[in-house]
Amino acid sequence: MSFKNVIQSRMSLIAVLIAVLIIVYPLGYSVADYISAGNAAGEKPFLERTAPEITQCVEDTIYMRYHHWELLHAIREDVVRYGKRSEVSLNNCRSCHTSREKFCNKCHDAVSMKPDCFGCHYYP
Amino acid sequence: MDTSENNVATIEPDQDNPIAVPPAEGPPMYLESDIDFIITLQKRGGDTLKKCMQCGTCSATCGLSPDDAPFPGKEMAWASWGLKEQLLNDPDVWLCYHCNDCSTRCPRGAKPADVLAVVRQESVINMAFPRFFARWVNQPQCIPLLLGIPVLLLTLALYSKDKLGDALGFSPPTGDGIIFSYSAMFPHWLLNMFFFFFGALTLVAIVIGGVRFWKILDRSVAYRLPGDRPRSLFRSILKVFGNIITHKDFSTCVASRSRNYSHMCVLFGFGALTVVTLWVITSGINPLAKGDFIYPFSFWSPWKVLANVGGIALLVGCFIMIWERGKENEQIGTGVYFDWAFLSALILVVASGFATEILHYIRLEPHRHIVYFIHLVFVFTLLMYLPYSKFAHMIYRTIAKVYAEYSGRKVS
Repeated sequence: MSFKNVIQSRMSLIAVLIAVLIIVYPLGYSVADYISAGNAAGEKPFLERTAPEITQCVEDTIYMRYHHWELLHAIREDVVRYGKRSEVSLNNCRSCHTSREKFCNKCHDAVSMKPDCFGCHYYP
Repeated sequence: MDTSENNVATIEPDQDNPIAVPPAEGPPMYLESDIDFIITLQKRGGDTLKKCMQCGTCSATCGLSPDDAPFPGKEMAWASWGLKEQLLNDPDVWLCYHCNDCSTRCPRGAKPADVLAVVRQESVINMAFPRFFARWVNQPQCIPLLLGIPVLLLTLALYSKDKLGDALGFSPPTGDGIIFSYSAMFPHWLLNMFFFFFGALTLVAIVIGGVRFWKILDRSVAYRLPGDRPRSLFRSILKVFGNIITHKDFSTCVASRSRNYSHMCVLFGFGALTVVTLWVITSGINPLAKGDFIYPFSFWSPWKVLANVGGIALLVGCFIMIWERGKENEQIGTGVYFDWAFLSALILVVASGFATEILHYIRLEPHRHIVYFIHLVFVFTLLMYLPYSKFAHMIYRTIAKVYAEYSGRKVS
């Protein structure tokens, strides 16, 4: 039997094997990850407070965790569309969260978020 | 189970006439023709059934039909006579894979494959608990109601999430890793409880349906073959599961060859999504996931990749199935409502799931929450109407195949 015939007669089995491999792979990956990490709780994300001079943010931590980007959107709308410049600006944020690398990007990278603001705008 | 101990009259095998007919004893038997049932079958998509002239070509051509009392010939005869009891208590319809080999060879264009599909729908309704609900699920005019139920229930659950959370001690999510997820609006504990509750109700309905079907199989004359059981129940189950996974019976189809692969895509895609879902909802108690479990997943996390690949496979499989049905062919039916409803539900679940994912990445607020809500509604309709829709084939066909192997009805 030629190679082509073998492939054709075993087509279903090959498809099944590939599917099972794809489905089992993440499980194996997680197990391997767990074993290699030992009993350590894994890398705890993310946020690093680099200059905690001011302890009070504009909102509480949980609110900021979920909605900070809505505030940023609102500020951008006000400035760009309506020319209203409020008291709150990125400069205020920067006084605590001095580093994008150490603060913002840690979470954004982990969940594949790519905010497009800072491609143009400066944030230290 | 030894048949000789049963009180039911056992049938001696007749070499000349292998079709098992109950012996003529006592008063003559009159066939009760149910004309309403014929009309129902015709309305549901078996409109060609009266074209049958009972030549038996379909039974002869079927690659899955057993030698004794083969289908779909006898079902076609019962259908045109309107023998409702026989049809609804006939497990053979579940051995059929709707591959259309019979329909393409039918000299009269009676489409036996489609008629069997409609009979399967009727037997799903007959075995379902509660029956009236199964009737609703299989009526197109009930779609607003069927979608309205999950909309109402989900809205209620979300409306009372704060009070419920306080009462049950679930605080707003505080995990370090949860940043931009849907769980701010739809907390995971709420969705888990919601779907576990209704899933449990569905499981009850599934078990009741399965028990009803097992009783039908136990009563069925064609399945009570003389002689020893060829294999134990456990080995029959193993054999059937091997068969289902490798699609062995599917690959015997000639007329609709690609159904083999489209069903593989759908089955394994659905399997992949189920595995990921189980991984996510058990993350709280799963030691493998607990340490660095971050939700939402990164796009290149193996679990996210599996979910995306599974969703694409499912979608591709569904579209191959639609393409198959759309092909110009007078002999092959285009499917019945039972069929299309399930296929549409699958597509809507996956499509709304991908829409949710895309809106998550492009950060459209509040659109993404609305789309996620719609996705949850479709997931509810797919999973919770399982025992009443074509999804029930997962239960009944598996049971029928196991029993066929176990009883020696079909030894493959």
